[in-house]
Amino acid sequence: MALHFELTGVKASGAAVPRTGRLVLDRASGKAGGAEQGPIVLETPGFFKYTRHGLQPHLVPDVAAEVDTLPAATRVQLEDFLETDSPDCGRYSEGLHKFLALDSSEILILDTLDPTIYARTAKPTNAYMAIDSDGGTRRLAAAAFAQLANSLKPDIVIPPFDVIEDPLPSLTQGKRISKSVARTAKWLDDCIAALTYPVAIFAPVAGSHSLELRTKAAESLVARQDIAGYAFNDVGLAVTQDYKLRLATHSLEKLDASKPRYMLGASAPDAVLRAVLGGIDLFDSSYPYAVTEQGFASTYVLGDSFSCTQPASETSVASATDAAHLDLWQESMFADFGPLVEGCACFTCRGHHRSYIHHLLKTKEMLATVLLQIHNLHWYQRFFNDIRASLAQGLLPADTEHFLKKYGCETPQTLGGCRPVQAFGELDALASQTLSPTTKIQRKRHAEQQPLETAAS
Amino acid sequence: MTTSDEFGSLATPLEVSNSPALKFEVLARCSTTKARASKMHLPHYTAHTPMFMPVGTMGSIKGITTKQLEGLDCHVILGNTYHLGSRPGPELLEKAGGLHRFMAWNRGLLTDSGGFQMVSLLKLANITEEGVEFENPHDGQKMMLTPEMSIGLQNAIGADIMMQLDDVVSSLTTGPRVEEAMWRSVRWLDRSIKAHKRPTEQNLFPIVQGGLNVELRTKSALELVKRNTPGYAIGGLSGGEAKDSFWRMVSLSTDILPTNKPRYCMGVGYAEDLVVCSALGVDMYDCVFPTRTARFGNALVRTGSLSLRQGRYGADFNPIDKDCDCPTCKNYTRAYLHTTVTKETTGCHLVTIHNIAFQMRLMRDIRQSIVEDRFPVFIREFMKTRFGQTVPMWIINALQSVSVDLTVPDSLTGYSATPVPDDFQKTPNETC
Repeated sequence: MALHFELTGVKASGAAVPRTGRLVLDRASGKAGGAEQGPIVLETPGFFKYTRHGLQPHLVPDVAAEVDTLPAATRVQLEDFLETDSPDCGRYSEGLHKFLALDSSEILILDTLDPTIYARTAKPTNAYMAIDSDGGTRRLAAAAFAQLANSLKPDIVIPPFDVIEDPLPSLTQGKRISKSVARTAKWLDDCIAALTYPVAIFAPVAGSHSLELRTKAAESLVARQDIAGYAFNDVGLAVTQDYKLRLATHSLEKLDASKPRYMLGASAPDAVLRAVLGGIDLFDSSYPYAVTEQGFASTYVLGDSFSCTQPASETSVASATDAAHLDLWQESMFADFGPLVEGCACFTCRGHHRSYIHHLLKTKEMLATVLLQIHNLHWYQRFFNDIRASLAQGLLPADTEHFLKKYGCETPQTLGGCRPVQAFGELDALASQTLSPTTKIQRKRHAEQQPLETAAS
Repeated sequence: MTTSDEFGSLATPLEVSNSPALKFEVLARCSTTKARASKMHLPHYTAHTPMFMPVGTMGSIKGITTKQLEGLDCHVILGNTYHLGSRPGPELLEKAGGLHRFMAWNRGLLTDSGGFQMVSLLKLANITEEGVEFENPHDGQKMMLTPEMSIGLQNAIGADIMMQLDDVVSSLTTGPRVEEAMWRSVRWLDRSIKAHKRPTEQNLFPIVQGGLNVELRTKSALELVKRNTPGYAIGGLSGGEAKDSFWRMVSLSTDILPTNKPRYCMGVGYAEDLVVCSALGVDMYDCVFPTRTARFGNALVRTGSLSLRQGRYGADFNPIDKDCDCPTCKNYTRAYLHTTVTKETTGCHLVTIHNIAFQMRLMRDIRQSIVEDRFPVFIREFMKTRFGQTVPMWIINALQSVSVDLTVPDSLTGYSATPVPDDFQKTPNETC
C-alpha cells in the first residue's frame, strides 16, 4: 500500500496516550513509471482540510493559497456530490484530484458524510446507507461507493457505515446498535470486494454508545491487514464531546495501535486537545469554518507561544487575551482600525482591519466570510503547530490544563449535557444555524432541526 | 492577463485633455467607427479605455479580494454612494482615510451620486428643486438628498471620479417631465461644482439627460460641454427603452461631447452593448449584470450565457470557455461548477471571477483591435460568434451609422447577417 503511518517518538505505552506520527503517501511506490514525486507527509496530530463541495469553505484556490503552510491533505464528503444515486462526477475519467483542481501532491480522503451536520433523518436499510439531500433521499450501497472510488481515485476512503443519529441516546436500544455494527462490518467487506483502485481504507469504528458492542466491533477490525486506519464518527450522537472521546478510547484500546485514528466532529480546540491526549491523531478543519460562520475571528492560544495577542485598540474588551474569539459583529468594531489580532501574519490581518470586516458582515457581503476564513484557518494550523511542539517537549498535558482553564471549559461535561454558549461552541451553533452570515443560501437540511440543548443533563 | 504594454509603440497621443485630477490621452482611433483607445490617468491609477468597471456596491466586489481584482486586471471599480452613505457612513469613511483605504483597493474608484438608488429603491421619493426627498427605509423619517449632500458624501468616500446628482426619470417617460428633469439636472450640476471641495483629487462628471428626445439630449449635452468638466456621462438610459432608441441617444451624445475627454455610458454591461457603444465612441461602462448573474450560476461566454445549473452541464467536463485564461477556466469543468453554483459561496466566487475576467478580456480585445486598427473586423467576428447569421436590428442600425454594414459581407471575414427584430439574445448561439 502506498500509504503508511509511522509513529515518531512514542515513549509511553498503552493505547490511549498522546503520540506524534507521520501519515506518508508515496504514490511512486504504487505505480510503475509514474511521475516522479516525493512522498507526501502529514504530520500528526494533524488535520485534513475540511471542504464543502470539494473546496475549502469560502476559499477558492488562489485565496486558499494565501494561507501559509496548510497540510497537504484534503477531505471530501461524497454527499456533497450526490445529486442522484449515481452522481455525474463518477463519469469523470481523470479522478477527483483533477475534478477539484487539487494538486497531485495532496492526500485526498473521501468520506461519505459532512461532519458539521449533526441531525440526519434518512433511514438506512441493510442494503444501503441513506443520505438526505436537497432533492430527496439518496441511497448509497457500499459497492456503489467503491465503484465511485474506483473512478474518483482518492487516496483514502472511509466506507459507508450505518449512522446512528440519536438526539436522546437512551432511546437507542442495543438491538439498533447491534444492527448498526453488523451493517457497518458488512458494508466494509462489500466495499473492499468492489474496490479495484488501490485506495487505503480508514474503517468506521462502530458500536455507538454500547461499550460491549464497541468491543465487539473493534475486535473484528483489529487483525485486519486490509485496513490502513480508523475513523471515529459519532457526530450524530447527542452526548458531550468528552463522552464521545471516552467511547472512542474504549474502542482504540482494542484496536491496532500502530494505525492512525481520525476522529470526526472533534475539531474544536478543546476537543482536539483532549482527543490528542486520548491518542487521536487526525482531525479536520471544520472548526475554523464554524468560527467564520459565527462572524468570529479566532484568538485562542495554546501555552505562551504567541505573545502578540493584545487587542489592537483600547476599545476592545479588557479580557480579550482570555477570549477564544473576537466577535466582529459587536458595535465596538465599527471604528476599530486594528487587525483582527495584533501581530498576526495572516493575509487578512496584514491587509484589512476590524472595521472593514464588521462593515462587510453588517452588509452581508461575502468577502466578510472570505477574510475571516483566511484568518481562522491560519490560526488553526498554527494551533496544530503549537500542539506538536508542546507534545515534543512533553508539555501537552500541562498546556492543555492551562488552556481549558483559561477558556473556561475545564469542567468535564456529563452525558446528555449541553455546552452553554461559551468558548469553542461554534460547531454546535453551526449545526443549528440555517443561514450563512453572508449568503441567502439555506444550509441544506438544517431548517427544521432544533439545537441539541433539549437533552437535559 | 494585464494591459501593461498594450499601447506599445503609441507614445504620442492624438488628443489630450488635462484636468487637475485627470489626464486623458487618446492614443488610437478607429479609422472607420467612432471608437478610440485611450489612457486615463487618475489619482490612483492609469486606466486603459474602453473599459468596463465592475460594481462593488458596499465596498467589496462579491467575495473577491482586492488582490484578486488586480489579478483580474480591473482598473476602476464602482462604489454606490447611497449604500456607503448609510453604511458605514461618511464619518467613518473619512476617519478610515476614504474608501480606497477602508477596502484596501489601490486602483481607480468611481462613485455614483446616490440619486439612482433613491428613485429605484425607494417608493416614496419626491423630487423638488432642492433635491430628492425620500423616506428613510429604517425609521420612516422624511429625508432629503441634495446635490450638495451628494458631493459631500462623495468627497468623504474619496473616489477618483464622482457623479453629479441628477434628476432621474425613467427612459420610458415622455412629456414635459423629461425637459424639467433635464434642466434641473443642469442646475444641480452647477450646485455640485460649487459644492465640490476636492477638485484637485477627485473628478466630477456631469450626466447627459433628456430621455429619448433628440432635442433635449442635444441641449443637455451642449450645456454640460459649457461647464468644461474632466469627463462626461451619458445617463437616463438602460431603463427598458427600445434598444434602437438607446443607441441613437448614445451616438447623439458622443457626437456632441468633446473628443479629447472620456465618455461614460452608465449601466451598460452586456457584451454586444459594449462592442456597439465602443464603436459609437464610449470609453467607460459599468453594470451589476456580470457579477449578479454569476450568483445565479450564469457564466458569460462570447456566444452568450451558460446557465450552469442546467442538468445538461452535469457531465460536461469542458471548462466554461476553453479560450479563457481565468483561474476558473484553467482549473474547473462545467460539471464541477454545476454541482456547486448557488450552493457554496466558492461556487459563486468561481463564476464571478470568470465573468469579471470575461468582461476584462472583451475590453482588452476591443482596445487591441482599435490599436491595430482592425476594430471593424473584430466587430464582425464578435457578432458572428454571438449571433450567427441573424443579428438584432438595432445593432445593424447602430453599426451602419458608423460605417460598418453587417448586411454586406466584407473582404476579410466574408461575414454578413440578416436583421431580426429582437432586442436581446434569447439563447446562446450554438451554431459555432
